Amino acid sequence: MLYMKNITKSFNGAFEPVLKGIDLSIKAGEFCVIIGANGSGKSTLMKVISGEHAADSGEIRRNGGVAQVVQDVNKGTIPAMTLLENIALSCNQKPHFSFYKRHKSDAVRKIADLNIGLEQYVDHPLGTLSGGQRQMIATLMAINSGGKILLLDEHTSALDPKMQVKLMEYTVKSIDEQRLTTLMITHNMNDAVKYGDRLLMLNSGRIVEDIRGRDKVNLDARGLVALFHKYEDQNLLNGGGK
Amino acid sequence: MSIDLILNGLQQGLVLAIIACAIMIPFRFLDFADLTAEGAYPLGGAICAVCMSCCGLHPIAAIFLGVVGAGVMGVGTSLIHLKFNVNTMLAGIILSTMGYSVNLRIMGRPNISLFECNGLFGPSIHANILVLSSILLLLIIPLALFLRTDFGLRFRAVGLNQNFAKKQGISLDKNTMLGMFVAGGLSGLAGSLMVQLQSYMDVGMGVGILIHGLASLMIGEAILGKSTLDRQLAAPVLGALLYQQIQGIALSLGLAPSDLKFFTGSIVLIVIALQRKTGRNA
Repeated sequence: MLYMKNITKSFNGAFEPVLKGIDLSIKAGEFCVIIGANGSGKSTLMKVISGEHAADSGEIRRNGGVAQVVQDVNKGTIPAMTLLENIALSCNQKPHFSFYKRHKSDAVRKIADLNIGLEQYVDHPLGTLSGGQRQMIATLMAINSGGKILLLDEHTSALDPKMQVKLMEYTVKSIDEQRLTTLMITHNMNDAVKYGDRLLMLNSGRIVEDIRGRDKVNLDARGLVALFHKYEDQNLLNGGGK
Repeated sequence: MSIDLILNGLQQGLVLAIIACAIMIPFRFLDFADLTAEGAYPLGGAICAVCMSCCGLHPIAAIFLGVVGAGVMGVGTSLIHLKFNVNTMLAGIILSTMGYSVNLRIMGRPNISLFECNGLFGPSIHANILVLSSILLLLIIPLALFLRTDFGLRFRAVGLNQNFAKKQGISLDKNTMLGMFVAGGLSGLAGSLMVQLQSYMDVGMGVGILIHGLASLMIGEAILGKSTLDRQLAAPVLGALLYQQIQGIALSLGLAPSDLKFFTGSIVLIVIALQRKTGRNA
């Protein structure tokens, strides 16, 4: 479960706050998709939730640890280490003075779950894999890190369409199995409508749409795009969204 | 080149290998460009020399105190960096410079003779090589094993991706201080062993030791690479042994000892240039 009350966040030198009084409550196991234009505050919201940035004011409560997958795979992994070493590091168990190789069979099983034939490369450096394969491993690491809240920040955007589908299928399956509370940022309206239990639209640092239940069921990607453009047009009329 | 020169080079190379390992730990495992070895090496030697000559301590106890003293210096460098956000190299230079005065205070005079004391080493160069090889193995094997444990994996992560390490709940400060204590301690160990080997401690002993160690590390890495943990750990040892032999060859070919530092710097530059040309970064 994630609870936020009146969260604001601004940066030095900025004209106005990036987040302006965010109120949000997400149930355990709920899959929320965040959409919004560039600069609307999506990534800042993720960083406040993950604890990377402290909010200026407001209250935030997280029931469980936070795991995150970001667009730049190098930030969420160690390319110079092997797949096994990366997975062993992310499993978040209490460290021991025993060899990390004991995690190997578990790591192989988890990699096999990805269903892309990478298990034979468990002892290879992660940096030798393709970008898409590395992002799959980064997602696997976040999902298996023990965190109860999963943040996905455009984690499929750098991948080819086939890999995007594979990664989303794996992500959704794992989220369901582990009942993770998930927030996903995406610009892919089809994915937003297809996978999200709830859609949050951010505009100029505020949640302007919170679509769930019957409204969500009745909304298709085209409708979501139209909604997106409605706020974009408003921003233009109001002087660039600020 | 005589066999004596080769054996002497081997003996010196084994001590240098310890310094090269001390330089490798912060540089390669912590991403901490550190110059403390220049100060920790003579500090270890000074403490060891004083403990043996003035206090009559057993040579192993004297080495132990030298290691601890130099290890504390390593922790000092890391604390200056971590607490005051001072550049790592500047922190090392500051402490190494201060260390010179500390060494003089500890020693009470610029040099100490240990000819009257019984050290670990004797007149037999073969026995000395055996002792030094054993010490080196006793350092490298536990280090290799530690780096393969959960704690070692977390330690290595600190140098490879600090943001990622922080997100995994790994303490950057604790691991940096631990690594710097080990690195300083190894430099101090090398200083203590060198003092006992030459039965003499001079306050200017550490000048230029960093560049020798760095040259050794780079030669080793140029040959073995650093793609695996085993290669990374073997690189400073192989590099130091080769480096001392190269110096021996240069001297036997008539190079003046006063030109050795220029020669060393040239080797480092050549290795860097070769690594850049071949795509292996320094």
